[in-house]
Amino acid sequence: MISKQHTGILLFVTGLSVASVVQANEFEVTQKDKKFNHKALTVKVGDSVSFKNEDPFVHNIFSLSDIKTFDLGSYPQGQSKKVTFDKPGTVDIECAIHPEMKMTVEVKK
Amino acid sequence: MKKILFALALLSMGVCAWAAEKDASASGELPHKNSLEAKVYRGSIVFQYYCALCHGVNGDGNGRTARLYKPKPANLIMSDKNDAYKELIIRRGGEAIGRSSFMPPWGNELTDEQIADVVAFLRSIRSPTVEVK
Repeated sequence: MISKQHTGILLFVTGLSVASVVQANEFEVTQKDKKFNHKALTVKVGDSVSFKNEDPFVHNIFSLSDIKTFDLGSYPQGQSKKVTFDKPGTVDIECAIHPEMKMTVEVKK
Repeated sequence: MKKILFALALLSMGVCAWAAEKDASASGELPHKNSLEAKVYRGSIVFQYYCALCHGVNGDGNGRTARLYKPKPANLIMSDKNDAYKELIIRRGGEAIGRSSFMPPWGNELTDEQIADVVAFLRSIRSPTVEVK
């Protein structure tokens, strides 16, 4: 049997979770003409960035930064892959196929 | 007889010195575009720009990104794959031939000449102990 007090706490915690989900934003970064459309992007912890390939050849986005290490693999024109940033700090992002492509994502608390 | 032998020895030394000097001057010239030396040199540049990120500057599989992958990027010094296989995996990527999907397809990025040059470079760094399949 759940008391009224416990129900209140449960609702409060649920409300906080819903609020945090609602607050997370999704950004889009495109790759076109072997360039990212942002040199730098600022997001908050919990936000996601979708990396969309708009070039007629593959890109391979990756990061070796300590706070977010990932490799999205190679993917062709029209496809996008998403990364969620769960820690604050600066993430350096590169393309494995086009070494001149670089950008940073600044993740704020 | 001794004098003749001595004269022959001097002549032979002179010929060797002349040949060495000729080689030295020749080494200052650029190798022909289609020579193996030129291909390996160009291939090394392409390799350092595009491939070393994963395969390492020495081709030993210990590039900057190597820690992201299991299995690690191929150690190309010890690779027993033949030239045709290497050309195929470079051109079409790992996934197309049942290898790592993290090996990108380079067919649209590199020219035929660049791919052939990289294959020549890889042949040049392969360990002589490796038996090629």
